[in-house]
Amino acid sequence: MQQRIQFSATINGQKTGPHELPKDLMMIEFLQEYAGLNGTRLGCGQGVCRACTIIVDEPGKGPHAVPACVTGVAWLNGKSLRTIEGAARTDDTGRIMASAVQKAFLEHFSFQCGYCTPGFVNSATVLMEQLQARPVDADAVEEAVEAALDKHICRCTGYVRYYHAVRDLILATPGLTTGQRTREVSRHG
Amino acid sequence: MDKAQRSKFTRIAAGIAAAAVVVLGGMYIAGSASGSVPPATVDFANISAEQKQKLFDRGLQVFRAADCAACHSSPTTGAELAGGMAMVTPMGTLYGTNISPSREHGIGKWSADDLYRAVARGMAPGRKNLYPAMPYASYHDITRADVDALWVWLQAQSAVEVANRSPEMNFPFSIRPGLALWNALERPAGGPAPEAVNTLDRGAYLVNTLGHCGECHTPRTSSFAMDLKQSLAGNVIEGAYAPDLRPKSMAARGWSERDLLQFLRTGLSPQGVMTMGMFPVLQHSSAHMEEADLKAMAAYLMQGEKPESRPPVAEAPQTSTSANGERVYLGLCAGCHGVDGQGQPHSSLRLDTNTTAMFPTPLNLVRVIREGLPERDLAHGERMQAMPGFADQLSHEDMADLVNYMRLRWGRQKGDVTPSQVADAIRSAESH
Repeated sequence: MQQRIQFSATINGQKTGPHELPKDLMMIEFLQEYAGLNGTRLGCGQGVCRACTIIVDEPGKGPHAVPACVTGVAWLNGKSLRTIEGAARTDDTGRIMASAVQKAFLEHFSFQCGYCTPGFVNSATVLMEQLQARPVDADAVEEAVEAALDKHICRCTGYVRYYHAVRDLILATPGLTTGQRTREVSRHG
Repeated sequence: MDKAQRSKFTRIAAGIAAAAVVVLGGMYIAGSASGSVPPATVDFANISAEQKQKLFDRGLQVFRAADCAACHSSPTTGAELAGGMAMVTPMGTLYGTNISPSREHGIGKWSADDLYRAVARGMAPGRKNLYPAMPYASYHDITRADVDALWVWLQAQSAVEVANRSPEMNFPFSIRPGLALWNALERPAGGPAPEAVNTLDRGAYLVNTLGHCGECHTPRTSSFAMDLKQSLAGNVIEGAYAPDLRPKSMAARGWSERDLLQFLRTGLSPQGVMTMGMFPVLQHSSAHMEEADLKAMAAYLMQGEKPESRPPVAEAPQTSTSANGERVYLGLCAGCHGVDGQGQPHSSLRLDTNTTAMFPTPLNLVRVIREGLPERDLAHGERMQAMPGFADQLSHEDMADLVNYMRLRWGRQKGDVTPSQVADAIRSAESH
């Protein structure tokens, strides 16, 4: 294998490349240093804190979250990716419209310093999209949220507001759950 | 067939049947006997507090070195003597028993002689055969002094009032007295080993008897006994490869006595980390053992062999599959383990000296990559962060190429693992 590779991808719906890159470049370095997409946060650099989570859309597999700090461009070459910059939409008047997940986080005051927020947004977005394809029992939403967000580390708000935001959004969005909710919606942890 | 012929045939058949009854009966009697029990080394009724404390301390060391807790712990509460740990064997599932001093469920009514018969001969009180998952084939030459100390320590622990779970063995292994026939054929003869007088003898006793390393690392015969002609030669058990521990093989994989001591004590060395079946060994046994004993084990296992020096490998040899293997490695592994497999201290293993890629079978490599590893507090301050599993990201083809890349680059193995071998490894792992 050559020391450099030709890298192309679709990022937030826009084709990019080919770029000549070091073969061992991690995706977060490409996003920040080459693509000018600085919203993806570098935290631990070890794939543990999940602040750097981005979304990969693969045919047949659907959307899934990967840590950009330890996933190399060699693996993501040719794939379709979404970063935090792709979460919000712009309406016909040019106004930026936060995504449903972003709105829920704002309404719940989910974050404080915000460093981990892009990762939470992307993993919560993946969860919402996965539930559209495979709804979960209305009484099992908390467990689904925890499974999706458990790996993410937040050091300001203690997770509860993130978890409540995603839980409430799922329960309020038609088609993501099955059956009648019988479990009490807790406001405390 | 006329009448005379029929009569002759009946006599022959009866003779064979009678001989079989005699042979099987003899085997049953031999295999359900405990043999002579060596006399206790102490008079338990008349020991001083100081003697008792010494026995207690030694008993704890025996308990650790023999790794009793690995099987006799509770999987739910973690209580080390409560029993309940499942052992899945090809013949069915067994559960570790309660060995606390509970008089109802445990061994509270046992004498030190009873404990010796169970540990060394596989016989519980009442002429009850233990399944050989209790490694009496290894413990058979345990010293009586070690059993006496172990008995003192066990009887001084708190009773755990938890009932034993019955074995779930497949027929005919569910017939417990049938084990006597296995004993008659396979149970090692011979009494206790002499007290070790030098480091190598002590190491041999710790590895082969108390540590019962061969129970996993020695290949099995068709009757599921340890094949002692190939002692410690490596074996696939419970869906994983327990590697070859013979000195030349260890040296060829880069082991030294010093690294082996570090591995046994902390669970981590340049050659790898204790995982799969070895993590409980660290947890319950080797992390708690005295350094002199760990050194003896390392000295015995290495037998003076020195690690083979290996030139650093800058690049994997170029093959038709290594380009894709390198792509997968750089894309999914190098972020933590480094482009050259150098790893990161206390978080990601180094791979350039790791022995997993050196094994004859790719089984462990495939399993770790697919399943990942949990975050681990190892021992004595050593630790490793979690490794994610990549089962949902890697096709069998990508897995084969990645495994070949690692085996070529760091394992000095051929890069000839095929996608169908990957599928076989996954099936083998999932059947456990």
